[in-house]
Amino acid sequence: MKKKGGAKIIALYWFVILMIVAGGIFAMVYSFYYHPYDVREIEGKIIINQIADCLSNQGELSSELFDEEGFSASYKNNFLSECHINFNVEESWNKEPQYYFKIDFYKSEDLENSVFNILKGSLELVASCEIQEEKEYKREVKCVEDNFFSFNGEDLYLIKILAIIKKTEKNVK
Amino acid sequence: MKERDRRGKILMENVIFIILNVLFLAILILFLLRQGQGAILLEQSYAKQIALFIDSAKPGMTIILDMGKAKGLAEKNGLKFEEIIINANNIITVKLSEDGGYSYSYFNDVDVSIYPDNSDPEHVTSYVIKINEYK
Repeated sequence: MKKKGGAKIIALYWFVILMIVAGGIFAMVYSFYYHPYDVREIEGKIIINQIADCLSNQGELSSELFDEEGFSASYKNNFLSECHINFNVEESWNKEPQYYFKIDFYKSEDLENSVFNILKGSLELVASCEIQEEKEYKREVKCVEDNFFSFNGEDLYLIKILAIIKKTEKNVK
Repeated sequence: MKERDRRGKILMENVIFIILNVLFLAILILFLLRQGQGAILLEQSYAKQIALFIDSAKPGMTIILDMGKAKGLAEKNGLKFEEIIINANNIITVKLSEDGGYSYSYFNDVDVSIYPDNSDPEHVTSYVIKINEYK
């Protein structure tokens, strides 16, 4: 009788272990599959590549970037259409923009002070980027930064590009 | 005789215990395998994949994407393979079930043609993503 009681306790103990294992696996599956894939970092890198390809070809800055007075203001104003970038995809994005980028041009002899810049998208997103300098917050925007050197025949420029993507609804839960 | 009965009972209990454990493990493995093949998950991964392909592509490029998994699931849910991808206004929508569908946008302002790859009519499991020209 004593043995039978012991076996029952072991069976119950085993049943509890099985439930804990099943619960753990369910929790892992839920956290892995039921959270959206966050592709914003890749998207940010692609935007930066597209901008870099538009600005520079084989290390040489596009001639369209300059006019008689230096950097062209009209090129800056029409930068999105010149580089075939469309940020107004969904109607709701007019109220809540999802993208931002900033391009800074530095002469090689002075890498501290930018000589020209191009900004497009929502400036509101920059603040979310700044608060993530020390710690990353998943529900905030994704910030991607890159830089490269390019030549315009006379001067060598360092070009720094910062791209910010919001799109939290589709990428974070 | 009594001793033999007891031994038989112990063996039976152990067999049942092992069968139940194997059954439990089989159910868990099936559950895990099914999770990775759900329509919601596949719709999202294909929509994002296609949008990112388009974003990183240049005019003149042709991308062939294997969508064998999506085809099986769509046909199981009563949808035609030719109708599972919709491209409108820079938004890609992948639909693998009647009530489902997942959309993701792309910023690259290009004209894109997306259609099933009919190069082998007997095994149409891929899609062709053709980047035509800038808009």
